[in-house]
Amino acid sequence: MLHKYRWYEYVLIYCGVAVFLTFVLAPFVEAFVVSLRPLSGLFSIPYRFITDDMSFEAYFSMWKNVPLLWRYMLNSFFIATVVTILGLLCIIPAAYAFARFEFPARNSLLGVFIAVNMFSGAVLIIPLFKLMQQYGLLNTYFAMIAPGTAFVIPTGIWLLRSYLVRIPKELEEAAWVDGAGKIYTLVRVIIPVALPGIVVVTITAFITAYAQQFIYALTFNSVNELNPLPVGLFQFFGRQSVVWNELMAASLVGILPVLFVYVFLQRYIVAGLTAGAVKE
Amino acid sequence: MGELQLRDVYKNYGQMEVIKGVDLDVDHGEFIVFVGPSGCGKSTLLRMIAGLEEITGGDITIDSKIVNNLPPVKRGIAMVFQSYALYPHMSVYENIAFPLRVERLSNDKVEEKVNAAAGILQLTERLKHKPGELSGGQRQRVAIGRAIVREPSVFLFDEPLSNLDAALRAEMRVELAKLHNNLDATMIYVTHDQVEAMTMADRIVVLDHGIISQVGTPLELYHKPQNLFVAGFIGNPKMNFITVTCKQADETGIVVTLPTGQDLNVKVVPRDDIAGQSFTLGIRPEDLTLKPADATIEITPSVVEHLGIHTVTYSSVEGASNTFCALLPGSAPAKVGASISMGLNGADCHLFDENGLAFDRQLAVSALDPAEMHL
Repeated sequence: MLHKYRWYEYVLIYCGVAVFLTFVLAPFVEAFVVSLRPLSGLFSIPYRFITDDMSFEAYFSMWKNVPLLWRYMLNSFFIATVVTILGLLCIIPAAYAFARFEFPARNSLLGVFIAVNMFSGAVLIIPLFKLMQQYGLLNTYFAMIAPGTAFVIPTGIWLLRSYLVRIPKELEEAAWVDGAGKIYTLVRVIIPVALPGIVVVTITAFITAYAQQFIYALTFNSVNELNPLPVGLFQFFGRQSVVWNELMAASLVGILPVLFVYVFLQRYIVAGLTAGAVKE
Repeated sequence: MGELQLRDVYKNYGQMEVIKGVDLDVDHGEFIVFVGPSGCGKSTLLRMIAGLEEITGGDITIDSKIVNNLPPVKRGIAMVFQSYALYPHMSVYENIAFPLRVERLSNDKVEEKVNAAAGILQLTERLKHKPGELSGGQRQRVAIGRAIVREPSVFLFDEPLSNLDAALRAEMRVELAKLHNNLDATMIYVTHDQVEAMTMADRIVVLDHGIISQVGTPLELYHKPQNLFVAGFIGNPKMNFITVTCKQADETGIVVTLPTGQDLNVKVVPRDDIAGQSFTLGIRPEDLTLKPADATIEITPSVVEHLGIHTVTYSSVEGASNTFCALLPGSAPAKVGASISMGLNGADCHLFDENGLAFDRQLAVSALDPAEMHL
């Protein structure tokens, strides 16, 4: 690199990063601190960051106060996983088709996919509700999974398509000359080569699915056992008071699956997996 | 076994004609090289034979079976790509085995064939490596290995050496020639490098804007180019062209008048009623001599390249269409700005009519057939 930063430029850069990170991470820190305090100590004035009565008690008591908490977490994880898998099953072939095949209205179809993303899921809640009601799908996992899947597909196609068009065409031509069909080539050649791209799509899809369940669950589901975590957390909201410390503890524990998936998958985002395929 | 016929083959992309009626017969075991400047359609023609491009018109026949609408794998061909096109996530072994896996061959068979191919290509020690860990030459050998295991009747090479450095290219050229002898297979090879074409080909196909300009052995193309395009394309440095006027013609050749006013008897087969017409005289830089000859041209080099074995001079000469180039012995006393007298012999010259078509040269068979050659 030609330009090297001077020491004061480094200081400025790190200050900027620090301010940014503070804004992003402060709520998490506060949530964690709140989860450690007893309910009675939450609103003490003056505000003190560290107090004597801190403990991990809320992390144990929350399971007793909301007995189905583990079930909500599992539901959340289950719904997000199924949405991701179903989504990928649609995204990979679709993105491959958009990247490689010539067909009428290809570009306008891609545009339509982006346009779909401009609508928030909330806009479609009422028509979707009517639909689910008609087909008797309310209060099922399916009711929460299907719309979630539909909404991860367009972004996924766009992300993966841009990765797939960068894979050299000769790889497919070589496979075609060697007698491999389109599906065989997709499975044996394209998917392994596109793995880093697919991992990115998987992470995006999973996080989206994990975050967006709230609105579908709230509308399409009234069976307590099927609720995902965001809806389940409402049970910490009592008639008189909100059990803040347990709510925060449950929220933080609820983030763990996403973190787990992320850490597990990001090892597969290996730059330069195509090294050696063709001469650049 | 490995016969290939092209009959009046056409290819259009929309309105644009890329291949304009190509006829070609290739016998079993021949090494054919398609050569031509970029954009002449040589790669397209190869891809049409491979089945990667559709044919707009005409027939392609492999082993007396019309293959126009067959997928590549049913044509009995195997192709090696310019960019190698190796599968980066598979080991060398799996890369070579890929066509066999597609065929669903048993593991024993696969192993036997892959090991045989790896043996031929000296890749046995590399079988467990990934393509990313190999050098350019090794990658190209893997790509060739993937073609060999299918035991095709026709091998197709699309500029396979153009990504390698000069030393490796020379080495691979020899290896490919050996491979051709060992495999007893038909090979079609596309290149823009005329050295590759001249060194490896049994016959060269020179393509120019989608038509075959000439087909012939390397020496035929060198000594008897049928037109200006082939004359200018084959040979390095390029042939010099000078505009001349025909003075008279008889069975000993055509006498032409050079721009300097000298007469030169060019040893070609004459045609009727050509006196007074304007022709193009072709003389290869290496045929110019410092010794006394039939005619002389004064040149004043503007650039002189000393290559050790040769000295190359570039100068401008009256009547020459481009820079006039001469290839002289390394010891030639050539200096920039110093005039030299160059001799040219009528027997070495080529003559082309107004349409760029060559007059047939009166050449001894020994010039064209290596078996007849002597010093």
